[in-house]
Amino acid sequence: MAAAQAFETDFWKDAGSRKVWDDIVPGEPRRTIPYTLTREAIELYCKSVGETHPLYFDEAYARATRYGGLIAPPSIHIMLMFACTPADDWMRSPGTVNAGQSWSYNIPARPGDVITLQARALDKFIKRERLFVVHDNVFFNQNGDVICSGRGWTIRPA
Amino acid sequence: MTVTFENLNAGDTIEGASFAVTRESIRLFSDASLDYNPLHLDDEYMKGSFGKTQFGGVIMHGMNNFGLITRMLTDWAYPAGAIHRRLETRWVKPVRPGDTIRPSGIIKAKQVTAKARWVLIDVVVRNQDQERVATGEAMIEFPA
Repeated sequence: MAAAQAFETDFWKDAGSRKVWDDIVPGEPRRTIPYTLTREAIELYCKSVGETHPLYFDEAYARATRYGGLIAPPSIHIMLMFACTPADDWMRSPGTVNAGQSWSYNIPARPGDVITLQARALDKFIKRERLFVVHDNVFFNQNGDVICSGRGWTIRPA
Repeated sequence: MTVTFENLNAGDTIEGASFAVTRESIRLFSDASLDYNPLHLDDEYMKGSFGKTQFGGVIMHGMNNFGLITRMLTDWAYPAGAIHRRLETRWVKPVRPGDTIRPSGIIKAKQVTAKARWVLIDVVVRNQDQERVATGEAMIEFPA
């Protein structure tokens, strides 16, 4: 759990260093951090949403499937989004409201993968007095293969 | 009966497991997702307003819905040899501690492309009052 211990769980702490809606430049890449996905992180995520499929837990079972080994559930990108971004990233601004997301899945993430993220704001707009940002995110494994790609819409704190 | 592309029809349904939302389940999701936004943890903070929205108390992570829908879809697709390829969701109502939510799906259409076969599914998450808290669409690929 080294990664979890190093993770700053107080999202207020770096709040002053984060970009507000006005600072966000659509198209500008966000700074990201490579992250090594562990079995423990996958198991904790599975527990939080009630995932029990042996593909995520049972190595002998998983090896005999077409996946040839343990994988993570597709939705593991929920955690990867925070694991691959630094503490001053604006996704962590307290009050960020998630309005919706769409994700496409190519290949599964696996324990031991060194995962990288390419991310940016693609667009920002104001609707009914709310400050929206459109997010553009792609996760890759250590071989440069796309794991998944997604768009998100968040409402920024005013 | 085992699910196959051939025997699926528009209108067929998929039922997910129910999920009891508690402060502990929200805290666990924070630890598992690394999303420690105070929206999900701090009642005092939640007395304020957010981008013209007021919640009045802590709310579950919207992406917890996403995780539950994903679990329903992959548990349905894996035994059929099918692959979960896409999920789009919108959050339509906040979920709070004490709520019990359940995802479900309904087959909307089937489509064959040059190299694969697709099943399009409308998904929804409802609370204990049968109110919709999340809606979306999914695409499952059945290898040709």
